[in-house]
Amino acid sequence: MTEADEKDGPPVVLVDPIDMSKLDSEFRNEIKSMPYGDELNACFACSTCTAACPIANVWTYKPHQLIRMIILGMREEVLSSDEIWLCLTCFQCQERCPQKVRVTDIFFDCKNLAAEESKIPETIVGLAKTLMEKGQLYEVTADWEREDMDLEPAVPGLSTNEFKDIIKATRTGKIVGGEE
Amino acid sequence: MPSYNLYMGCSVPANYPNYEAAMLKVAKELGMELEYMEGVACCGSPNLRAIDFMGWLTVNARTIAIAEKNGHDIVTPCNGCFASLKDVYHHLKHDDAHKKQVNAVLKKEGLEFKGISKPRHFVEALYSDIGIEEIQKKITKPLDGVGIAIHYGCHVLRPKDVTEFSPEIYQELVKVTGATVIDYPLWKQCCGATVLPVNEELAIRLARDKLKSMTEAGAVFATVACPACGNQLDLQQLGLKESYGEEYNLPVLLYPQILGLAMGMDEDDVGLSMNRVPAGSIIEHLTE
Repeated sequence: MTEADEKDGPPVVLVDPIDMSKLDSEFRNEIKSMPYGDELNACFACSTCTAACPIANVWTYKPHQLIRMIILGMREEVLSSDEIWLCLTCFQCQERCPQKVRVTDIFFDCKNLAAEESKIPETIVGLAKTLMEKGQLYEVTADWEREDMDLEPAVPGLSTNEFKDIIKATRTGKIVGGEE
Repeated sequence: MPSYNLYMGCSVPANYPNYEAAMLKVAKELGMELEYMEGVACCGSPNLRAIDFMGWLTVNARTIAIAEKNGHDIVTPCNGCFASLKDVYHHLKHDDAHKKQVNAVLKKEGLEFKGISKPRHFVEALYSDIGIEEIQKKITKPLDGVGIAIHYGCHVLRPKDVTEFSPEIYQELVKVTGATVIDYPLWKQCCGATVLPVNEELAIRLARDKLKSMTEAGAVFATVACPACGNQLDLQQLGLKESYGEEYNLPVLLYPQILGLAMGMDEDDVGLSMNRVPAGSIIEHLTE
């Protein structure tokens, strides 16, 4: 195709060419080595996952494109994408994949890699803080409602210190600590 | 009498004491012995799985390991807790390296994940261990065939190889109360709860789509067995008048509330007044 051809009429290709020099060929192996990443390479880009996704319309990169991008090695684009955090984790893509690619589980892997590089939405960092400080996402505030239902005002058996100690020593500790 | 380790998680006790109480009451009537677990906290939710896989694995393995001290299965009324616990259980059964890593941490507390106590959703235990036949015997005020739409919740249905849950379980449990199960196009769709922290508008759209699909198919009531789904479908309805100019007035009941009423409990027993969209009209559908 000559330069003159490109200027006339609609583009022959509808997506921008991929810059091969920027690809990280190890990215796919990184994902494959993570939990549920085994079947990654089986993707044949049928886009059934995208058809199944109830919010694909608001995604710039559709689910099948993200999987493709992982295979190609577009590490930076995938790990910086909003899409991985918008994922509902409803597993409809994964349920319908004819190739048994664990699409939703792989997006969880991507989020962990993004988290390792501190690429986490502010609100999620906020939840991490809540988990580390309180040992739970919700605390009983309306104990009179519990008493109305003849329940003990405090949740029986609840003990949050061990939970807090565990996640303080894992990545959550780093994420929250790094914020302070 | 089957005995279980009851894992409440944080959302049900804080936000849905009516769910907790109704569950305990129907369980007692049906001979399920639920014992609150000692020394446990949160499951971390899918958010913890997203940012800190090893932390999520360890806290849930710890919960399972505590249950394994008496060997009974775990039951929980929350889809989110169920998903975390069951996913971790499934993963550690298939990944020896992670199992060793997690157990090295748990050892400090004298705990060990072995994979004996299976995490289960309360409704599945009700269905599998008590059974429809036994439940039927306790139904004294069956519903009059009124249409109920079931919102199963993603994390109990999928991924199926992990959750081992089928939609028929919930359908049979609703049918035994005398209600008709409403088939609706978006039955598989997410309530939107998970995306709430990052995109509220999108979360509301998903809840709205779900409610629209249910009511258009003829549902008079909806039922859920998850606090997060409950928030989305019940509480969010109150805001839809403003955001979408739409009013659904679709009462959303936690499943044990419906079962309890059909078993002859009164509305205070199941905390019906705590439901956000007024649900009292279900009483009119109970027959003697």
